[in-house]
Amino acid sequence: MKASVRGVPAAPGIAHARIWRLPERSGGVGSRGLDIGLDQAAEQAAAELESLEQRLRTGGRVDESEIFGAQALMAQDPELLDAARHGIDHGASAEEAVREAGEQAASMLETLDDEILAARAADVRDVAARIARILRGEQPPRLDERSIAVALDLPPSITAELDPALLAGIALEAGSRTAHAAILSRALGIPAVVGARGLLEAAQGGREIAVDGTTGELFIDPDAETLAEVERRSAAATVQSAADAELRERPLQTADGHRLLLGANIGQPGDVKRAIDAGAEGVGLFRTEFMFMGRATAPVEGAQAAAYAQVLEAFGERPVVIRLIDLGGDKNLPYLPVPPEENPFLGVRALRLANAGFEELILTQLRAILLAAERSGRQPWIMAPMVADLGDVYRLHELVATAAFGRTLSVQPKVGIMVEIPSLALIAELVAPEVAFFSIGTNDLTQYLLAADRTNPGLADRQDPLHPAVLRAIRGVVEGGHAAGIPVAVCGEMASDPAGAMVLAGLGIDELSMDAGAFGAVKRALAGASLSELQEAARHALHAESAKDARAVFESMREREREAVG
Amino acid sequence: MAETTIELRNPSGLHARPAATFVKAATGFKSDIRVVNLTRDAERSAVAKSMLGVLGLGVSHGHTIRISADGEDADEAVRTLREMVEAGLGEAIGG
Repeated sequence: MKASVRGVPAAPGIAHARIWRLPERSGGVGSRGLDIGLDQAAEQAAAELESLEQRLRTGGRVDESEIFGAQALMAQDPELLDAARHGIDHGASAEEAVREAGEQAASMLETLDDEILAARAADVRDVAARIARILRGEQPPRLDERSIAVALDLPPSITAELDPALLAGIALEAGSRTAHAAILSRALGIPAVVGARGLLEAAQGGREIAVDGTTGELFIDPDAETLAEVERRSAAATVQSAADAELRERPLQTADGHRLLLGANIGQPGDVKRAIDAGAEGVGLFRTEFMFMGRATAPVEGAQAAAYAQVLEAFGERPVVIRLIDLGGDKNLPYLPVPPEENPFLGVRALRLANAGFEELILTQLRAILLAAERSGRQPWIMAPMVADLGDVYRLHELVATAAFGRTLSVQPKVGIMVEIPSLALIAELVAPEVAFFSIGTNDLTQYLLAADRTNPGLADRQDPLHPAVLRAIRGVVEGGHAAGIPVAVCGEMASDPAGAMVLAGLGIDELSMDAGAFGAVKRALAGASLSELQEAARHALHAESAKDARAVFESMREREREAVG
Repeated sequence: MAETTIELRNPSGLHARPAATFVKAATGFKSDIRVVNLTRDAERSAVAKSMLGVLGLGVSHGHTIRISADGEDADEAVRTLREMVEAGLGEAIGG
């Protein structure tokens, strides 16, 4: 095998096919610019975009088609073309001029304090790049055989041109789970891996690639042994997904019918469909940071409200827990000039920002949630992270009241907290009467309790939430919450780990929230044991010598179950 | 010369889809048509036949815009565009 690279799994599945690369920009600037003029190139770009719009619309991909309808108008935009002509008059080549005009229009859109419109900036650049491509005399990219697209990043116009019947997977050096190409992959049901650093270098000269969108592994020119492993995984995944589809309709419950609520963790409105399709009974954690990252100014109330309302509407009567921003100095946001900190995870972040000069940031988000509630007519569950004590809880209520001031609320929000700071776990019963729900963030609770930085791979073996100290903290939170009659959920990775889910059910947790991809495995794990068996095993785990011993208790139960089935 | 002032009620503002509907309609008239977002900047006007111009006005939910037209079909242009904005430019809008 030539090389393997690991990236971020962005769409599950396994594929192996020829590598397809984005065509390189050929020739120098304006190499064939004499053959075709600006107006003609713009007309052709608009025609291409219109036919893309048509094709996607008839293919049922209406939302995507609209982007291209708007782009077709941009390609014929009198202001864009005037600016480009102006550039040509001043000596620029047509290609340079149209790119410059596109760049200017894009920057203008980006300065508008509106998330949705700022997103159009990428569309304008894309249009300018398309006109420039036509000016160079190049054809639109196309696949000739079943292939996996390997690139730095794939703009929407390129992914939409690629024939979905021939596109077997996507591997990107850049990009995130929320990149357009990743969303498209999930919609098409093909695997994708993004953020794979070193991919382009490793793939240089390669012919084939295997993509494991579940683990994030990429194998360039895999050898026979690797291929056999890939095929084995692919076969197992097919069996698994058939079994998961069957599980979809079943609730999350123990063998004797004790039910837990099954929530989905989502990171943006685009994740909603996948969660609902997988059978989510609500959203246990809606991370809202996506709107705040990579921009010069904080998103305004209206743009935030639109995103929240979309999720609230999609879930209807089912609960949606919106987590207030968990941002701090480590994120390096221009509008959040927090002084550098030695330990940003123990620093001024999330709710603490309200007392550090950034109250308005939190208030705007709260107002947006209340506005979304009014527009959708649905009750939002507001959850604050980084709450350490009752003082923080009172501050939270004060902020909600301030945001609600002057508004008539037809729908009252539920206000709860994320339990992740150990101090809060120790005083859970004091705090519970003051909030509407608890949701335990086991990732941070574990790293704080065990004093082991979870971003340090060298400490990975100290990150197991099945550690008896973590389990005892969770037990305290459940007891405190239930004494006050409020529900206690878990929204950390522990909920998506079959052994973790079993111990949590045994400890009396009411809801498990996780990525929709883990639903099947967790349902299977709980269905294999009765509540009393799980409670008994949880009691053992609370007294285990180590996380490893605790884990062994549950793994042996799962083993027994597998034997019984087999 | 004809003009009208109207509030935009589309939940996500004048984003890609409604803006495209608006621009396409404007392009169908002979008159010069301009739009101003009175809520954001009353001094700045955009060509209604320009997608980028219209998007660049940054019209959000609840903003008030002024549409003006100059030309042989100015009255009809302003009336038609106003009706389309009132009807939500192809989107469902709340009362």
